[in-house]
Amino acid sequence: MSVATAVDRPSPAKPTPSPPRRRPGRGQGTYLLFLLPGAVLLLAVVLVPFAMNVGISFTRWSGVGDPRWIGLENYRRLFADAAFWASFRHNVGLLVAMAVLPTAAGLLVAAALFDVVGKRFGPRAAGVLRACVYLPQVLPIAVAGIVWSWILAPRGGALNAFLDAVGLGSLARDWLGDPDIALYSVMGVLAWIQLGYPVVVFMAGMQRIDPVLHEAAELDGASWFGRFWHVTVPQIRPEAFVVLLTCSIAALKVFGPIYVLTGGGPGGATTVPSYSSFQNFFEKTQVGYGAAIATVLTVLVLVLTTAFLRVQNRGEER
Amino acid sequence: MFARVLAALLVSTTVLAGCGGSAGDSDPGTLKLWHYESPDSAMGIAWNAAIAKFEATHPGVKVQFEEKGFEQVQKTAPMVLNSNEAPDLLEYNKGNATTGLLSRQGLLADLTEQAVARGWDKRLSAGIQTTARYDERGVMGSGKWFGVPNYAEYVTVYYNEDAFAARGLAVPTTLAEFTAAMDAFVAAGTTPLAVGGAEYPAQQILYQLALSKADRDWVDRYQRYTGDVDFHDEAWTYGATTFAEWVAKGYVGPESSGMKAEDMGVAFIQGKYPIMVSGTWWRGRLQSGIKDFQWGSFPWPGSRMGIGSSGNLWVVPEGSRNKELAYDFIDITLSQEIQDKLRDAGGVPVAPGGSQPTDPAVRTLIDEFDTLVANDGLAYYPDWPAPGFYAVFVSATQKLITGGATPDQVLDEVAKPYAENRATLGG
Amino acid sequence: MATTARRRRDPAPHLVLWGLVALAAVMLVPFAIIVLNALKSPADYATSGPLSLPDEVHAQGIVDFWQRVDFGSKLLNSFVIAGSVAVLAVVVSVLNAYALGIGRIRGRLWVLTLFLIANTLPQEALVYPLYHLFKQVDLYDTRLGVIIVFTIVQAAFGTYLLASTLSGFPREVLEAARVDGANRWQVLVRIVVPISRPTLGVLFVFFFIWTWNEFLIPLVLLISDENQTVPVALGILQGQRMMDATTTSASALLGVLPAVVFFLFFQRTLTRGMTVGAVR
Repeated sequence: MSVATAVDRPSPAKPTPSPPRRRPGRGQGTYLLFLLPGAVLLLAVVLVPFAMNVGISFTRWSGVGDPRWIGLENYRRLFADAAFWASFRHNVGLLVAMAVLPTAAGLLVAAALFDVVGKRFGPRAAGVLRACVYLPQVLPIAVAGIVWSWILAPRGGALNAFLDAVGLGSLARDWLGDPDIALYSVMGVLAWIQLGYPVVVFMAGMQRIDPVLHEAAELDGASWFGRFWHVTVPQIRPEAFVVLLTCSIAALKVFGPIYVLTGGGPGGATTVPSYSSFQNFFEKTQVGYGAAIATVLTVLVLVLTTAFLRVQNRGEER
Repeated sequence: MFARVLAALLVSTTVLAGCGGSAGDSDPGTLKLWHYESPDSAMGIAWNAAIAKFEATHPGVKVQFEEKGFEQVQKTAPMVLNSNEAPDLLEYNKGNATTGLLSRQGLLADLTEQAVARGWDKRLSAGIQTTARYDERGVMGSGKWFGVPNYAEYVTVYYNEDAFAARGLAVPTTLAEFTAAMDAFVAAGTTPLAVGGAEYPAQQILYQLALSKADRDWVDRYQRYTGDVDFHDEAWTYGATTFAEWVAKGYVGPESSGMKAEDMGVAFIQGKYPIMVSGTWWRGRLQSGIKDFQWGSFPWPGSRMGIGSSGNLWVVPEGSRNKELAYDFIDITLSQEIQDKLRDAGGVPVAPGGSQPTDPAVRTLIDEFDTLVANDGLAYYPDWPAPGFYAVFVSATQKLITGGATPDQVLDEVAKPYAENRATLGG
Repeated sequence: MATTARRRRDPAPHLVLWGLVALAAVMLVPFAIIVLNALKSPADYATSGPLSLPDEVHAQGIVDFWQRVDFGSKLLNSFVIAGSVAVLAVVVSVLNAYALGIGRIRGRLWVLTLFLIANTLPQEALVYPLYHLFKQVDLYDTRLGVIIVFTIVQAAFGTYLLASTLSGFPREVLEAARVDGANRWQVLVRIVVPISRPTLGVLFVFFFIWTWNEFLIPLVLLISDENQTVPVALGILQGQRMMDATTTSASALLGVLPAVVFFLFFQRTLTRGMTVGAVR
């Protein structure tokens, strides 16, 4: 890795061993220096555009020409839009499918791969299985949408054909076309897409765990699950937090998979707030209103993020 | 090894990335042309021929053609045309929300002078010209020329001749015969209509039903905002209630709510449904895909107005530095030679052709369209009048298919965004 | 809690293995369907639908698509962009996370939150502002512009993941290094980076694949053909009203393969840590 190669070179800042008498809080300056490249990029690519987006949200604008200032009009309209707020209820299901389920299942799968398969059947077997579980993450979402609509098609779809073949034909459904089922079908596809991500992150985290901890627990006679629960889970807590938060953020602003699978249908049964944002930006050319939606979504997600980070931080300091 | 691979990657990539400068150059010896039709479609074939002809008649000029994705052009056209990267000529969607919007912002060249000087205004019929002209609000139908179509499209009824023959059914010429034929299929346990309820096909059936009770004035009021629109008038009410009735009678299957247009087409090609109501854009697919049965088409029975319009437009960006060349190219696409080529490849030409088509199926196609134009019957598409209206219609017709709402409720749902858009028109 | 130690040969590990194999098989079904259709002729697809086996192997779709979009150059673009982003974003993540997780600078929660805006902000909200900014500095329609955007978007995630894992970093190790006279840069390069290597490998792989699959921003910011990426090229097949399913499958196969190969290649990097055990 490019950073690692720097080990061999003389380091740019020669060790001029400054006397190690530092008061707490001193020396923050040098750490801030490490933050500099990231901060500059962040400012240019995210913070300034975000501020511009907030600015656009106070205007009526079709994306070309001059925006017209209309003050809080877009926000007034947004807060009165009951359908928009109602569509948040679909995010609850998506949170389960994209954050809760993959994190929980991912923990189990990762532990099983790392502890059982990796140790009993060799790292190669574990690697191959991990690759299989991760593959859906590699598939472009547009393609995933096409393939899943083939599988879930009501007539001649693979799933219904399979159910028929194993004698469960009565369970066959119109998976994406029935408003009572469509959301669950979408949730299933999202869980399929999402699972590989926590598995890979958790397996990497498990490599950090000192094997001594497991050996000690085993000597104490702890069962596999006991060790999983009392050694593995606490040790990869940081990863668990990261996975849970990033997946939750993704679930709250998810849009692509829904767009390609159901387009928010049938009859609005799977629509989500971020779909409105996208529609206004690119289909209705109401960029100002789209920007208002994006701003509100960002602020909402940020509030949740901040709260989550506080909880995580408290856990770390314990 | 990991480290070395990465280091090599870093070096090579930053070097490569650095030299990828923007190519905003434009020299008089090149015509930069964009379109998004696949090379084996009728338009793709005809336009390729046009490129060849253009290069032959313009020695020293090269056509630099880039095939774009439909989505890319839709999402980025306003940005591209506002930059130095704009092409000299591009295919763009007709309608208020697309060409109309860009024309209002001054991003498109005014083609009126060319249209008159080169006689385009004579070659194209009035119904076709509607989508070429936009007023200062960006509303189609009058004002200056901002685009030139060179093909047309309309919605027709495709049917499986074998399936009709097996039940002794004749080609319907009235709506009553049409429903009687569908009843015969339902009685035999076959769902007659292939419908992609998750995309455009369902709303086109609903609109076509409404059109059977409509006239030119009704269409103009709805599409061109020339007067009041009442979504609970006779036509709309008939359209929505009849659609719901067709669902109840089993003409439209419950499974269609989740079907996309592609699923619909494949199901028809596989012979799973005997009838498909959709556009001329399917013709090539049906021709190459259907092997096991005879098929044909007939115009929607008992309606003077029909869904259809010009195809997409050639537009010239205001920033184009080779406008003359672009005009020449448009002129070539309207020439008899290219129009005949388009027709023979399965497209619907817009300008009267020279030779007679040899293929009888092509002949039917042209005749159907000519009748529609002669009746002044082009009624455009239901989702045109308001940006984002398409999704509203999809959702509304899905509710009719799943029984999630009554026809009245559905019409209310459609009326709201329409009224909102009208209120902001030109703003 | 403590019970008698069970050291018997029990069938449990085999059950676990077969359970995971079954899971892996289910995960792969959609990929099998893509391969099936990529190798099918359009006529075959039209008559038999997407789920039947191809009558004969038809590779023409793949060849046609390759030539139609000049796939080689798209591959190169995607590789350049995803590769640069993966490397640069890992570097930026390490630097950030070092300051936040090890340096524990004051107000780090706020800094972290600021970085996470890059993840919480919907991408469509970035499109118009970035377009205007990039036009002014001549980065519009350049690969460099897209690399810059994704470097920070991915680094936001990397910063968070690394800072979280580094905050549990054993303080004694750092103190020992300092006593040996190492400055901050040396501590980072000689101690923190090697120990975090499994996580850095994961980040590298993720960043590459995520960037590879990005669609909206390349679609908007990379206009000319010579700068386009693979997913944008796939978009050409999705017409206004037509979708060419077999060519789409063929192109999907072409689009996915490089990312899969990349993942399998670096899979070894991910696995090595597992065999060697903790670097400590």
